Amino acid sequence: MDFEWTDQPEKAGSSEQDREFELELRRAMERRPAPPSLKRRIMQKRSSQRTARQRTTVIWWQRLAASLLIGAVLAGGFGWRQMEERRKGEEAKQQVMTALRITNQVLNNMNRKLAEHDRSDNGK
Amino acid sequence: MAQRWQPDFEQLVDEHQSMVFSLAWRMTGDRGLAEEVAQDVFLELDRHMERIESPEHALNWLRRVSVSRSADALRRRRVRGVDLWVEIEDKHGAPVEERQSPLETRLEQLLSTLPEAQRAALVLRYQEDLTPEEIAAAVEAPLATVKSNLHRGLKLLRAKASTHLKEFIRGL
Repeated sequence: MDFEWTDQPEKAGSSEQDREFELELRRAMERRPAPPSLKRRIMQKRSSQRTARQRTTVIWWQRLAASLLIGAVLAGGFGWRQMEERRKGEEAKQQVMTALRITNQVLNNMNRKLAEHDRSDNGK
Repeated sequence: MAQRWQPDFEQLVDEHQSMVFSLAWRMTGDRGLAEEVAQDVFLELDRHMERIESPEHALNWLRRVSVSRSADALRRRRVRGVDLWVEIEDKHGAPVEERQSPLETRLEQLLSTLPEAQRAALVLRYQEDLTPEEIAAAVEAPLATVKSNLHRGLKLLRAKASTHLKEFIRGL
């Protein structure tokens, strides 16, 4: 079966009745006026949606700012802890070095006294 | 360099609300649903305003989205299990528009009983006066399918009219 559509029905052998039917159909399908309240409702809904969208945007920015702040605090805390550990390590190292220096000095003194003692023994 | 067209939402609503509402009403067969669809279509337009390039683009966009959203609304309603055709019978039983003749009202009733694709093609053809090529672009379907839908739809509508509207149409 041929379902080919044509914009010129008269050339496709369509009758006066067909054209009349199409004319009637075109008349029946004229645009209908929209309800008078439609535009007002659209504008109201648009306005409330925009407000809601703006509120959502503000909430997202707030969330982002809070996340950044928490991230910064955590990173700062982590950094401070690392620095503190390094400082304590450095301090312990200095203490060990001081202890070693003291020990070295004591040993040197003892060594010197022993040498003096040996010398006095040999002189006798 | 040509200045870019700046769409004015309120003006677009003024210009096209009748077209969008009529398309939605004829596609859904339900005035209330058509008002909801028209609202949704314009709100969607508001979200897409920056992509609208010209008045013609706005008109074509509104036609395409109106048909598509009407079909979606009908599908949603079918899923919810509402017997649309019973509703349409009820609604069309009452006087719809005072300016409409009984024949026009009955023709619209018959139109609402056609399959969705055929109904869309006929509404775009006879309400919007679009060519099959323009309809194909509006419903995003192949031209051959649109032509077939127009032909089948018109044939079916005429057959229904010859059964139900004998008293109105001469020569049927």
